[in-house]
Parts: sequence; C-alpha cells; structure tokens
Amino acid sequence: MEMLDLAGWHPIAASSDLPTRHVFHGQLLGREFAVWRADDGFVNVWENRCLHRGVRLSLGLNDGRELRCLYHGWRYSSRSAGCTYIPAHPADAPARTICNRTYDAVEAAGMVWSSVAPEAEFALPEVLAGADPLVLRPVPVNAAPGVALALAEGLLPDARAIGAASVSFAEAGLVVFVQPLDAHRCVLRGVLLAQPDDRMAALRYHDGVLCGLRDRIEASGEVAPPPLEVGFQPVDAALAEMPARARSGPKAELRVQVARKWDAAQDVAGFQLRAVRGVLPAFQPGAHIDVHLPNGMSRQYSITNAPGESDYTIGVKRDAAGRGGSVCLHGDVREGDVLAISAPRNNFPLRRDSEKVLLIAGGIGITPMLAMAQALQVQGIPYALHVFARSEAHVPFADRLAGLAVTRHLGLDAAGTGAVLGDILSGYAFSHHVYVCGPAPMLTATREIAAGAGWPEEAVHFEYFANPEVIDDSTSFEIALARSAMTLQVPAGRSILEVLQENGVDVPSSCEQGACGTCVCGVLEGEPEHQDVYLSAAERAANDQIMTCVSRARSARLVLDI
Amino acid sequence: MKLYDFELHAECYAARLMLSLLGVTYQTEAVDFYPEAAHLAPEFRAINPLGRLPLLEDGTLRFGTVQGILSYLAAAYDPTGHWAPDTAVLRGEVAGWMAVAGELAATAGQARLIETMFADGDAEAARAGAEALLRVIDQHLWFGEVEGRDWLCSATHPTIADIACFPHVVLSEDGGISRQDYPAIRRWIDRVKRLEGFTVMSGVFPTSSAL
Repeated sequence: MEMLDLAGWHPIAASSDLPTRHVFHGQLLGREFAVWRADDGFVNVWENRCLHRGVRLSLGLNDGRELRCLYHGWRYSSRSAGCTYIPAHPADAPARTICNRTYDAVEAAGMVWSSVAPEAEFALPEVLAGADPLVLRPVPVNAAPGVALALAEGLLPDARAIGAASVSFAEAGLVVFVQPLDAHRCVLRGVLLAQPDDRMAALRYHDGVLCGLRDRIEASGEVAPPPLEVGFQPVDAALAEMPARARSGPKAELRVQVARKWDAAQDVAGFQLRAVRGVLPAFQPGAHIDVHLPNGMSRQYSITNAPGESDYTIGVKRDAAGRGGSVCLHGDVREGDVLAISAPRNNFPLRRDSEKVLLIAGGIGITPMLAMAQALQVQGIPYALHVFARSEAHVPFADRLAGLAVTRHLGLDAAGTGAVLGDILSGYAFSHHVYVCGPAPMLTATREIAAGAGWPEEAVHFEYFANPEVIDDSTSFEIALARSAMTLQVPAGRSILEVLQENGVDVPSSCEQGACGTCVCGVLEGEPEHQDVYLSAAERAANDQIMTCVSRARSARLVLDI
Repeated sequence: MKLYDFELHAECYAARLMLSLLGVTYQTEAVDFYPEAAHLAPEFRAINPLGRLPLLEDGTLRFGTVQGILSYLAAAYDPTGHWAPDTAVLRGEVAGWMAVAGELAATAGQARLIETMFADGDAEAARAGAEALLRVIDQHLWFGEVEGRDWLCSATHPTIADIACFPHVVLSEDGGISRQDYPAIRRWIDRVKRLEGFTVMSGVFPTSSAL
C-alpha cells in the first residue's frame, strides 16, 4: 500500500481549478481540503473545517484576501490561516491561537501539489522536468487507488511506472497520476508532456481515453476497501483550555528581515519586514508589533498592511527628541538586517458590523488607520479616511492611499483642525463608529468634539502613541493577589507591574506607559488611581480594571484578579 | 402576477430565481407541498390539473410546469432575448438542456425529496442516476471553460436552461450527493450566484463577489 503513504507528494488540483475567488473542494488520503487562490496568486491548502463549528470551508467565501466561513462568518487570512475577525464578538480581537491547519502547497506543471505529512521538500517528478505540459481534465474514479494504478498500467503497451502513484506512456507522451482521495476513491490526472498541435482535439481524445479507463476500473468488480479513518488535528491546547499567562515582559518570538526600507514620507521611514523562515502569523487591522532594536530598546509599531499580505509593513516617524527608538531605526537599521519582533497583538480592534466608519489619522497615526481602511475597502463596508498632515510630503504611504476613500486635510493649525473635526463628526447615527490615532492633543480634541456631537463613548475608539500624562508614582499601597494568594507592598517609585514581576507573577506588558493596554489586570476590591490613556472614562469609572504599569491606588489596598 | 409556491421546492426556486433575475415583481401564494400535500388536493387541482408546483398566473394565463414558466417569462419579460434565444442552434441547445433539467429533477431532485420530505422511491437508484448525469454535465462545463464558454448553451450569456438545471444541482447535497467530484460544476454554481438579481433560498447561499 505504498500509494497510501502519507509522506508522498500528489497533485491535488489543476491550476485551472482555482479561478479568481473560488474555493476548490479537494481531498488527499482521506483528508479534505479547502483550496483557494488569493488575489495575489498565493495558493492556500487548508484543512476543510472551520475551527468554530466544523463547517466545511469549501462552502466558504473567498474574498481575495481572506476566506469567510459560511456559517458564522469567521474570517481567516490567506497564508497564515489565522482568524482575523469573529462577527459574534465585533469589538474584540480574536486570539492569536485561532489558526487553521494548513498543508504545504506547490504549484508546478499546471497543477497544485500537496502532501499530508511531507518528509522531504517537493521535487517535480523527473518526467515533467523541462516539459511544457498540457493538463487533461481530471477524472474521478470510485475505486481503490492501487486498483486504478494497476489497470492504468494495462492501458497502453509501453507503460512504465514512475514514482509510487503514476504511470508514463512514452509513445503517447502521456503521464497519468493517480491521486489517492481515500482508500476507495481516486482521481486520474493526465498530463501530455508537450503541447499538441490541435489542443482541443488532444484534450477531447485523451479525455475519452481516461473516461474509458475509469469505466473499466469501476467495472473491474474489485471490492473497494472502507474509507480511511482520519483523526482531525486536535485544536491547539491553548484554544481548548484557559491559556497560560505569558512570560513577563515584551516577547520577541519572531525573526524578520528588513526586505525594504524607504522614505515613506518626510521624516517617516517605511520598513517591510519579511519572515526569515515560514509564514508570519495573521494580523488584524489595528494590530501592532513590538520591534526589538539593536540599541536594546523595544518599541511598538502598527501594521499597515491590507488583509492577506505576506509581510508586515510599518512606518517609523523620526523623533530626534524621543527616547532613541526612531533614531536607531532611521539611522542604524538597514535593508537585509534581521530584527526580533513580537507576534502581532491587537489592542485596537476594528468592528465590522458598523454601518459607517470614520477613520481619523494625524501624522504617523495613519499607520493603523491604513490597515483598517484597506480591510473595510475589501469587505465593502462604507468608511471615510481623514488624514491630517502638515503637507502632502508629510503624508506617509501615499501609494497605499490610492484607491481608498481618503480626504486629506493639510497644513491646518489647532483651530483649523478642530473646525474640520467638528464637520467630520457632525451627524452621528446609530451603528456609526469613529477610530482615531494621532498626536495626544488631536486625540483629546477628537474625543471632546465627538462627545459634544452626541457620539456615545463606545462608538469612539482611539489609540495613543504614548501617554502624555506625567505619572505620579509617589504613593505607596498594598496589593492582594486573589488568585496567587499573595499580599505585596508597592512602594513609592515602583509600579504595580514591577512589583508583580519581581515577585514572580507573570504579567504580559508592552509599552509600560499606560498607552497600549497589554498589562491590564482585573480589580476586585479597592479604588484604582488611573493614570493611563487606554481606558475610556466609563471603563475608568467602573473601577474593575487597571493598567498595572502606571496606575496606582487611591485606597490603601487593592485586590487584584491575578 | 402570482406564483403558487412552496419555499423548499426546487422547481419553485427556479421560478423565483427567474423572476428575480428578470426583475419582475410578483406575489406568492404558499401551497403546503409538504407535509400536507396540498398540491394534490382538489382545490389546487382545480387550478392546475397536473397537481404540480410551481404554478404561475399572469392575468388570465396559467403555466403549470417549470419548463412552461421559464419559457413564458423569458419570452414575455426579457427584452434582450437572452434568456430564451431564438437562433436555431440555441433553441436546440436550450431544449436539450431543459430535458436534462427534467432528468435531474427525476434523479437528484427525487433523492432530495426522499431524504428531506419522505417521498416514495429508491434513494440509491436516484443518486446513481444523478451521478451519471453530473459526470456528463461536469465534462461539458470543463470543456466549455477551455473553449471560452461559461454556460450550458453556447451563448455568451446564461439561458433558461442554466436556471432550470441550477436548483437540482445546487441542492444535491440535501439528497446525499456530494459535488466534490464535479469541480467544473462547482465553478458554474459560483458563476450563477454572481448574476445580477440572483436570489437565495434555504440551503443556497450567496458567494463572494468577483474581482
């Protein structure tokens, strides 16, 4: 039963089976596949099962960059197969661990090849090397692959077995691959090694030959064996159980190479980051990565890419008065350099159930807005992107803006900006949402104007680059950790986060200045003194969560849910 | 215009789909095909002696078969003449594929009625008959793609033959017939779903937009 060897590479589809925005229903050795080509040409071979309710993804919708399950609309990104959006949780970012099983795929000689458990890289069968083949119509057969192969060998006198699952007929210039769908079903995939003079006649003639072969195989009376028993790939343990808390501090689990560095605008460098090995994890619009720099710093940058793109593109504004991160990236990091980055994290998720979305970007704050605008564009949700900048030369990524619904507001002072924001934010209606990213004064102004224009707080989403507040860390208080059964003292000059980490309590953190929301912790008792810019006013007033990196306690004691 | 209709009936869906593609407004009157078998009751036979759904009423005119309904609608309400083209070749092709649609109703359609509405009959035999037809249709559509033809007939646009065959094919899984072995049929289904005015029914979903 060499044909049922899981390590073998087999053709599973013809290239012509994957036209634009189609999902092909494939199978190999009992494993069902959803096979689809993204608009950029990338061929995805995925386990044919939505991680949510197990519905076949071959019923799903290929939107060119993502595959959407027909049942509850979960969206999965091309390449990584990571989940990017769950409609039932429109305000939340799906966990990074929700990622479908992918199979290797190679497109060669007019066919897509895959393997269930490859032990070696794909190698084109020698007989096809250098050929300009004509792929015949695939002919499915209800018979065991081994039976089909044996009868195929009797098709013409000069049959010669090549590999474990194919027969070559040198005289006719014909090769027949037997794709084992299952123990009892297969597909005859014929290839003519050279382009014939009369293509249609050759296709018709050989289709007749293969159909005749199919009829003989099916009439041979061999009893087909029962189907293979295939266990589903168990879901990631982190999905099935409560995830373990991440190790303290910013993590840098990915290695990327700077594929391209360019001037994306005045004082803004664009960096295109490519995986050193494998495929980068899926990102969602609004997500950011931590970039670890040669000077030892770690900085957060938003991903600007459209759904389904393979590399991460970030924009870095040079800030000579800053703490040195942007200067290092501008000056020291060059094309070809390898950087350590974290997996994307999304503290700024984009709802896709809005009737209209306003995106407001100030300066380099355009970076998450670009990712959002491109996702909304692909999905056909009405949106308007407003870009505020000093001049056209200061608008980053002008190439990505082409084709988007963008309005530029150039060279405005604070009063002018406020007037334009007043116009943009007039006319709130139910199910409208506004997302804003930019310098702190602009964010503050936008939030005030939106509140004045009747926008409810939950419809106004914002992301600060940095916390403009001066942090008061002069207080001292006690924290009780409800889950860890510890009571600790937080002295003046130390943050809750530092005290937790020093005592071996793992809390993920990122910006450590109250802007990114990574180190959030539940509060069970006591009154926090909020000093972050991540929580909204209502979230602050609820007093049930705290940013442990900057916020402190008004009460003598806080009981934390950790 | 009034359509005597049962929501889950494949041929009623063909009539609704044609009306929707033509942009014709109409009323429906529900006839309880299952479980009441109201289409066989004397009251309904008084309107359609064949005791069949769908039935289309346009003024004083009545059409009591899906073939009749599609042919009439295309001739009366399609000013482009695309849906029921009148060249000799296309007339022959349309009539031929309308006949295949009838065979699909008797096989794939019957398997679905047996599995989902407890109709009498041999489901295995119905499925075997359907698979034989689907093999031929898949081959026809595959060669069509190679020759630059997207539809069942040789016109550059769909015809009533596509609409007559579509419901039985797209609902085949209700009758236990997978379409995995018919990739060219699966692509044709996407093309039908992308027609302007396409409409869905229970078990028939929209697809993504083309580029």
